[in-house]
Amino acid sequence: MSEIIGLKAKLGLDVFKHDKEPHIKIKPGMEKDPRLKRAILVCPAGLYEENQDGEVELTIDGCLECGTCRIACGTEVLEWYYPTGGAGVQFRFG
Amino acid sequence: MEEKFDAIIVGAGLAGLGAAYTLAQEGLEVLLLERGDYPGSKNVTGGRIYLNPIRDMFPDLWKKAPLERHITQEGVSVMAGERSLNVSYRGEELDQEPYQSYSILRAKFDRWMAKQAERKGAMLVSRSRVDDLIIENGRVEGVYAGGDELRSHTVIACDGVLSLMAEKAGLRKAGSASQYGVGFKEIIELDSALINERFGLEGDEGAARLFMGEVTRGKFGGGFLYTNKDSVSLGIVVGIKDLIEGQPAVQAPVLLDEFKQRPEVARLIKGGETVEYSAHVIPEGGLRALTKLSGDGILVAGDAAGFSMNIGVTVRGMEYALASGYYAAQAVIQAKAKEDFSAASLASYESMLNDSFVMQDFKNFSEAPEALENHRIYSYYPELAGNIMRDLYSVPAGSKAKLYPTVKKYLGTGELWAMFKDMRKVMKI
Amino acid sequence: MNIVVAMKQIPDLQQIRIRNRKPVLDGVPSALGVIDKNALEAAVLLKEKQGGKVIVLSAGNEEVEETVKEALAAGADEAFLVLDDDLEGADGSTKAMVLAEAINKIEDVGLILFGEGSGDNYSGQVGSRVAELLGMPQAAYASSIEINDSSAVITRSLEDGDEILEVSLPVVVSVLGDINEPRIPSVTQILKAGRKPKEVLELEDLEINLTGLPEIMTVSNLAPETDRKQVKVASVEELLQALRTEGVI
Repeated sequence: MSEIIGLKAKLGLDVFKHDKEPHIKIKPGMEKDPRLKRAILVCPAGLYEENQDGEVELTIDGCLECGTCRIACGTEVLEWYYPTGGAGVQFRFG
Repeated sequence: MEEKFDAIIVGAGLAGLGAAYTLAQEGLEVLLLERGDYPGSKNVTGGRIYLNPIRDMFPDLWKKAPLERHITQEGVSVMAGERSLNVSYRGEELDQEPYQSYSILRAKFDRWMAKQAERKGAMLVSRSRVDDLIIENGRVEGVYAGGDELRSHTVIACDGVLSLMAEKAGLRKAGSASQYGVGFKEIIELDSALINERFGLEGDEGAARLFMGEVTRGKFGGGFLYTNKDSVSLGIVVGIKDLIEGQPAVQAPVLLDEFKQRPEVARLIKGGETVEYSAHVIPEGGLRALTKLSGDGILVAGDAAGFSMNIGVTVRGMEYALASGYYAAQAVIQAKAKEDFSAASLASYESMLNDSFVMQDFKNFSEAPEALENHRIYSYYPELAGNIMRDLYSVPAGSKAKLYPTVKKYLGTGELWAMFKDMRKVMKI
Repeated sequence: MNIVVAMKQIPDLQQIRIRNRKPVLDGVPSALGVIDKNALEAAVLLKEKQGGKVIVLSAGNEEVEETVKEALAAGADEAFLVLDDDLEGADGSTKAMVLAEAINKIEDVGLILFGEGSGDNYSGQVGSRVAELLGMPQAAYASSIEINDSSAVITRSLEDGDEILEVSLPVVVSVLGDINEPRIPSVTQILKAGRKPKEVLELEDLEINLTGLPEIMTVSNLAPETDRKQVKVASVEELLQALRTEGVI
């Protein structure tokens, strides 16, 4: 239905192939860095969240590999790679 | 591996495919590496490609290419909070062959084009991520991929907007948020007959619509809709800097949900089923944000080089990708003939681009990024236009005000002066 | 001694989406069965120990020629293919006849490996059928295989314990998915795979008659439609109300 479906359900429509390790990681000690908070606003998949302690957490499942967090937050706070070959999102339409 | 390739191309997007196709056609040894399951599986577009500038570079390609619909209808909607102003354009010239523009789905098209490049002799290896460049004595000598060391005379970095390859080669600095937008879209499946009925199309005719104003809550960017054969691509592009800075703060995905709920849009996609959600960063920095285009043993093409442009009425990238891939290949072909793959030899890439529509466009529209940064375009003017329309068309219970004063009340002297200043900026585009 | 690994081309299951309760196969890339890759890995490991060749055997449509590259990259030395559009989606008995006949054309076969079930239908019967047709012993559910001169020692993982068999060669063995971790081929191996020898036969090249075979048709393989109402209630009162509305109480 073209009605509004939740973000999780939307991501559920995509094909994701499992990677052994998360390809994006928050650098240790940077969880409260203000730059990281930007990711909460910009991530089209809504994968960044702030927990009760004010730390930003990242759930890698559902990552669309768009690169927005790398641009917005920078590589001082994020360890950012693409998934290994054949892993990650595989668009059927694009 | 003993053999040394003439070129290793990193990434089978349109730049990489354009380069691979061109090189293979000339009989050069070319290896195309793609990290996705198949070419196109990692590639995202809003949805339309313009063929005129690139038609002759790939003359045999277009007849059988799996493109979606040729665009015969253009529309722009200026959206205020509760009303919108629409301009639409259709013309006979849009419906005459060869068609200038098509909607496109990249997972389909790129996979097909890769097949064509393979048929010409290009070697394609999918599911292979390039991890690093081999750099010796300041010269790029090949790539490392999954523990393999692969050597080549040249590497063409076509690894997309974040180009980690160009970064590693020292040709690109990590850019600032103001130079990038993020696009995210849904593919919504709809029966093709229904699409034709709703958009007033026939056969393979297609419609393109852009939306600006409230759709991005006044942030730099806009919404888009393209009709495919039996689906609609519906999405938002928004400046990353504006998203970060908030005012109002909004999470990106919310914009698309709001967009879908706008009555102007909801009725177009009603009954459709979302089948995919995708997103990607888009280079929007224009001429000033382009990377260095070549170095010793390396060339950069497509989004990797920054070849994508937003000039408001059109957002283009795919033609620049195919063309820059084509010229990168030409530079390698010339270098091969001279047996000289040095930086100086490969610099012919840049001079060919300078003489082509690619750099001409980037020079012509060098002022566009700054002009379009004006926030009044995305919030103030849409509201203003909406309000004027509302008052012009409303018939109150009592007497109706004269038309000219109705308009004039919105356009005082100070207002006109501000508009004049804005207009001067926009006129630079 | 050569090792034959039978591998099946199947659609990449993760890429299939469902529309109107039917799978959409259009444009779905082909892959080799997941457990088939374990069988291949087992063969390659054995070969690395005692020599011989690993020959991947597959029957299907023309696309198989491309799909099988993955196996050649992952260590198979040669491919033996029977290509015919009719073979795509053919049932287990047909496939078994074709594979058995093809194996008859391969020299010095000591071991024939299968995955315990195919990635799509998972009927797990082609291996047994081939053994029967070829008159060879068969061991299923293998979790380890060792070869000594003229026999194989095979550990079968069964529900209530392991069974260790010594079987004379040639033998048909189907392996379990956890027998090993298949290797991921490198770019160089993938490139070399394109140059490895492939023998391609058509159905007519085999001395078999497939006409008049009893045909098995799949009438439906859908999960039964649920008639549950999926009503959520927050309290006992609501539950009672819902049951009353349904006229159950």
